[in-house]
Amino acid sequence: MAARRILRVYTYVLFVVMLAPILIVLPVALTRTNYMTFPPEGITGKWFLEGLRDQILLDALGRSLVLAVATAVFSVALALLASFAVERRAFAGRRALETFFTGPRVIPQIILVLGLLIFFRSLNMGGSFTGLLLAHFVVTFPFAFRTILASVSSVDVILEWSARTLGANWLTVFRRVLIPQIKTALIAAFMFSFIESFNNVTIALFLSRPGARTLPVELFVRLQVGGITPSVPALSFLLAGVAIALFVILDRTIGIYKFLAGSEGSR
Amino acid sequence: MERRIPVAAMWIRKRRWVLMLVPGTVLLVVFFLLPLLTLGRMAFYTYDPIRLYVPALTLENFVKVFSDQYYWSMITNSLTVGFLATLCAVFCAFPVAYYLTTAKGIERTVLTAGFLATLFITLLVTTLGWYIILLPFGVIQRLFEVLGLGSGPLRFIKTIPALVLVLAHAHLPFAVLILASSIQAIGKDKLQAARTLGASPWSIFWRITIPLTMPGIVSSAILVFTLSISAYLIPVLITGQKIPLLPIAIWTYSSEVLNWPFASAIAITLFAVTTVFTYAMILVSDLVTRRGKWKVV
Repeated sequence: MAARRILRVYTYVLFVVMLAPILIVLPVALTRTNYMTFPPEGITGKWFLEGLRDQILLDALGRSLVLAVATAVFSVALALLASFAVERRAFAGRRALETFFTGPRVIPQIILVLGLLIFFRSLNMGGSFTGLLLAHFVVTFPFAFRTILASVSSVDVILEWSARTLGANWLTVFRRVLIPQIKTALIAAFMFSFIESFNNVTIALFLSRPGARTLPVELFVRLQVGGITPSVPALSFLLAGVAIALFVILDRTIGIYKFLAGSEGSR
Repeated sequence: MERRIPVAAMWIRKRRWVLMLVPGTVLLVVFFLLPLLTLGRMAFYTYDPIRLYVPALTLENFVKVFSDQYYWSMITNSLTVGFLATLCAVFCAFPVAYYLTTAKGIERTVLTAGFLATLFITLLVTTLGWYIILLPFGVIQRLFEVLGLGSGPLRFIKTIPALVLVLAHAHLPFAVLILASSIQAIGKDKLQAARTLGASPWSIFWRITIPLTMPGIVSSAILVFTLSISAYLIPVLITGQKIPLLPIAIWTYSSEVLNWPFASAIAITLFAVTTVFTYAMILVSDLVTRRGKWKVV
């Protein structure tokens, strides 16, 4: 079992490498100096407070959250409609439509977003929130669609028929028979779209106005301009912490492998 | 005449479900297909310093991309970085994926979280971390000084190896995910049969595990390659303008120089390069693994 021991050591070494860039921001955020330095000089929590008091960052955070929730609601609702039609009806061009719905996955985001930038300018929608929302919808829809479609295809139609026969109207059938069966997929699709939208930098960088940046773009601009205070690593650490907590919760509730099955290639 | 209306009503009633397809289809046509077509057309327009572009068709943009040594080096840089990051990510991920499929209980949970949770964290946070680690006077340099391996500012950031490292790190979770599910899918009966017939663990690995996971290896390689070659955020923060890459040029020409026709031509070049090499990878792997021959296994 020597081979297995080597494999184990290797895995743990890589495990540390994977987490190193996330954990390193903590000591840097704890320094007393007002520039980033490692090892930290003195320990203080003031940069965390500073980061949480920065109005521009808070506004950007609020904007990102609204955008992510709107994207997720939008994507899941339309994907739910579309997947029922695609799954339940046999029509010519069904496969073609399915391919089309998952199309945005295969186009690199930087190419798509350049197209959108030019397109939105010609419609006078440059830098608008609606434009950003539509762009995020386009990149999250394929994943929502795939996840929900897989779940809808495993739903037992007989149960719906029985409910209808027993006198339930379609709304009751939807609420009490269908939704319970596809709940997991709906949550997965929602969370996936939310995270993808909240974390996305490339699209928001091309499409958001200077005064209305999302949180990742605001952080990106500060990082690129340089001269940042340790409040940026402090905030980064908090973001990473929330993300990991979310990961563990999703793993415990619906299982991360099922959840990530549709996520391939989201960057 | 009277019967026509109910028939028409029935016809509509029966096809009401089409309405469910309308919102998604319309939005994707307008905000996915049309922008791509706009981009394709823009690549053939003429740049104009005052009006941004004039709709006079020209091949000038592509001629500029393919006749200038600078843009050729940009293409080869992008390809080099894409390939190296793919090699690193897939090679590093395979043993991890293999180990993950055998791990159980709390170890599996912790490892899964460590290797996949970065998918939930915005790239900006991890890139900031790498930035802190790699920067001159950063963590690695301090470590080197403490260990007596060298002193003076480290010149590692802003190099291709640093860029490959960060790209491979960012895209490794995708490779782990695909490879793990593909290793998991190997039937236990096949491994059992090989063992019963006296195959050594080594030969089981080379003659059963690897061939059967080849589709997973190829699809993870294609994914990591596509993501790496079209990445903008990581190169711009790690190497900046120092190493010319296609995605960085797309940003520079579209948002700084405001030469949309040329930016579009570069975007189409990036797409063409990605597509050609993706299909080449599929072809080569088909040849190498004699796909179809081991389908009987």
